[in-house]
Amino acid sequence: MVVGELADAADLLVVGGGPGGYAAAIRAAQLGRQVTLVERAGAAGLGGVCLHVGCIPSKALIELAGAAHRTRELEHAGLNADGVGVSLERFQAWRAGICADLARGVRELLDRRGVNVVHGEARFNRPDRVAVRTPDDRVVFLEFEHAIVATGSRPAPLPTLSTDGERVLDSTGALALTAVPESVAVVGAGYIGLELGTALAKLGARVTVVEALDRVLASVDAALAAPVLRSLAALGVDVRLRTTAQRLDDGALVVAGPEGEDRVDAQLVVVAAGRLPNTDDLGLAAAGVEVGPEGLIEVADDMRAAERIAAIGDVVAGPALAHKATAEAAVAAEALSGEPAAFDARAVPVVIFTDPEIGTVGLTEAQARAEGLDAKAATFPLAASGRAATLGARDGFTRLVTDAATDRVVGVHVVGPHASELIAGGALAIELMAAPGDVAATIHPHPTLSEGLHEAAALLLGHPLHVGRV
Amino acid sequence: MEFRLPDVGEGIATAEILTWHVAEGDRVSEHQDLVEIQTDKAVAVIPCPADGVVVRLCGEEGEIIDVGAVLAVIEADGAKASGDGAAAPESASVPRSEEAAPAATRPTLPLAAPTTRRLARELGVALEDVAGSGPHGRILREDVERAAEQAAPAPPATPAPAAPAPSAPAPGEVVPLRGVRRTIAHALTRAWLEVPRIIDYREVDATALVRARTSLRKRALDHDDEPLAKALTPTPLIVRAAVLAARDNPYVNASIDLEREQITLHRHYHVGIATAGPDGLTVPVVHDADRRSLADIALEIAALASAARERRLTREQLAGPTFTVNNFGSLGTWMGTPIIRPPEVVNLGVGAIRDRVVAVDGAPVVRPTLVLSVAGDHRVLDGDTLSAFVDQVARLLEDPVLLFEDLR
Repeated sequence: MVVGELADAADLLVVGGGPGGYAAAIRAAQLGRQVTLVERAGAAGLGGVCLHVGCIPSKALIELAGAAHRTRELEHAGLNADGVGVSLERFQAWRAGICADLARGVRELLDRRGVNVVHGEARFNRPDRVAVRTPDDRVVFLEFEHAIVATGSRPAPLPTLSTDGERVLDSTGALALTAVPESVAVVGAGYIGLELGTALAKLGARVTVVEALDRVLASVDAALAAPVLRSLAALGVDVRLRTTAQRLDDGALVVAGPEGEDRVDAQLVVVAAGRLPNTDDLGLAAAGVEVGPEGLIEVADDMRAAERIAAIGDVVAGPALAHKATAEAAVAAEALSGEPAAFDARAVPVVIFTDPEIGTVGLTEAQARAEGLDAKAATFPLAASGRAATLGARDGFTRLVTDAATDRVVGVHVVGPHASELIAGGALAIELMAAPGDVAATIHPHPTLSEGLHEAAALLLGHPLHVGRV
Repeated sequence: MEFRLPDVGEGIATAEILTWHVAEGDRVSEHQDLVEIQTDKAVAVIPCPADGVVVRLCGEEGEIIDVGAVLAVIEADGAKASGDGAAAPESASVPRSEEAAPAATRPTLPLAAPTTRRLARELGVALEDVAGSGPHGRILREDVERAAEQAAPAPPATPAPAAPAPSAPAPGEVVPLRGVRRTIAHALTRAWLEVPRIIDYREVDATALVRARTSLRKRALDHDDEPLAKALTPTPLIVRAAVLAARDNPYVNASIDLEREQITLHRHYHVGIATAGPDGLTVPVVHDADRRSLADIALEIAALASAARERRLTREQLAGPTFTVNNFGSLGTWMGTPIIRPPEVVNLGVGAIRDRVVAVDGAPVVRPTLVLSVAGDHRVLDGDTLSAFVDQVARLLEDPVLLFEDLR
């Protein structure tokens, strides 16, 4: 590698090694490209936020908290739960092992495809060139034929309360806790805040959730959030809406709500107030790539932001979700390699690991109506599911939204255990334009929660098995 | 209302649009001819289902559509009359919104699965312009392929114009395979590839046959039955002979199903009559030929032939032959090589009756003769079983009084 103004050649350059970046690198390599991937955390950071401080570690924590909580819940079912306890120190070792193993796996996948992984931070200084600052402070230049920007996002800071790594943490800090705090105030009732708040409450912390808006989980339909709200109440989580965090005061967080200021017990404060795209320090202007007011890069449907540059994942519009980034990654790699690719998914599923879980894909009934569709919906309640009864889960449902004019499924919404697993069936139905009759004619195994989708379809067709006419 | 291609029965899954009898925007009345379609078996005219206005015709002439696919969208008069509660209870609110925002302008994405969308991009087809032939207008891969074919003008697809080859012959007129021709092409390709065929050629002295036919004709004319006289060609006599002979040779009136590994010996005698039509060969059927009088058979064959000429054969008239008689002699052909149409196992070809010099009692004599060429499916029939049948047919034709035997 050459130091100085002389540039190394990179056929296809990927900036960022998260679920978007590494997927783009692999797809491009499969298409015969020579791929260089620049990751600021090096090979150990492959997998990005998702793998290291997002999806994976949070699901590990939620799994542990859920198991501890469930054990106690099942006492009435015959389980002797005496002496159930949790060590977050041991948890951290386990989590670190999972993350390291998975990152190593990504590294191997890239190696096998001949992807050159460069440790450093990339910055564009020409439409065809990046400068990469390596950890030992050298700068190398890479001149690329094509580039894919996949730099992801970071937690958004609060104007009133900055994280300090001790008492005020972001989600990354919360996932690294080695002891369960006595009391926690979670700022932000989006999916990250509620997932963390739920897990911490199940681990034994007294949790208060502070949300500036007038509802939780503002990104999903209110009907989906209702069972989650009931469950939070049962867990003793204090949810304060239309309330903002002001400042720390001794062992409390001062908040301002509709009834004025109040003090909330908070040994720790976890800030989960959304995420910001990592586009501000990339030199994108020098590359001829425009960044919008929200920090998002505008792209065409082939993910191109400029002739040679594509952008994917959290730096472009849409939900900041790993699977969306991964899907866009394939499109970008293919489009830049001359294939007629386009991101045209009809729906991006969203999963939320609250208790109960939420899985949602496609349109709600109201959205469908607003789009001018002849919307018809049917809801199968979890309470009518035999499998749910054996799980001790009664609050939740599967809702199917259809367009009667074209006789097809346009939305599926699941609230209940394993909704995150169940929603893929809904996504398939939407992409393949299944008619409700197709879903009803597809045999779903018993006894499983997946029957909910089948029952909702049957309900819509007027011949449900396990519910009366609703 | 969406009017779908009705299930025309007989296990037919697709039909080809031959001719539209209406255009988009036309006012139509119930039972008026809407479209002429061609299935594997027949041409049929489908009537309009209601009074109204044709909003959309879903398919080009020559296009093949599935049973159940939308054929046309017709705005029925009943749907507009707000007072007609029985016909359309929701009509009061529906038409207004439909007029304001017809389905085409709905802001929904094209109804196509991911691989179909990908194919459209690969072929440069705008899905918005593709009429989907699937349920509710779902766009299928075939629709995209068809749209690409129609959109692509032939020259740019081939680099030939860039390098004109002087020796390359000018392409002749290209006639697309359509309608009956397409059905024939596919069916006979299958038949030819599938059936191991043997043919028994047999010269028959037709002296008595000619005499019998002349007498029968004269008798019909004496009864002022001109239609019957006209219908009494050699064909009905041959059909009768074939049926009588088939009764004694059950493996002739049979069908084979190799997949199930079984031969079915039919109890009924439905004789297919190969008939030249304006669009090509059709094979209408004389049903239960064993239970009909000769006059009945003759008149039926005449009726079928004229229906074929006028393209108005019904599905029933084409259904279920158990073997076929092909009198290509009427075209002047001396001897032919019939092709068997599976699952049938016999096609009996009849050549023209001509005077020939034949040996009679060791002396050359001029006699009217005809040549039978009887094709048999060798999977079912061997040389001896086929020739036993042909023998009997020949004997019946040489001594046609036996055709009227009902001694049992």
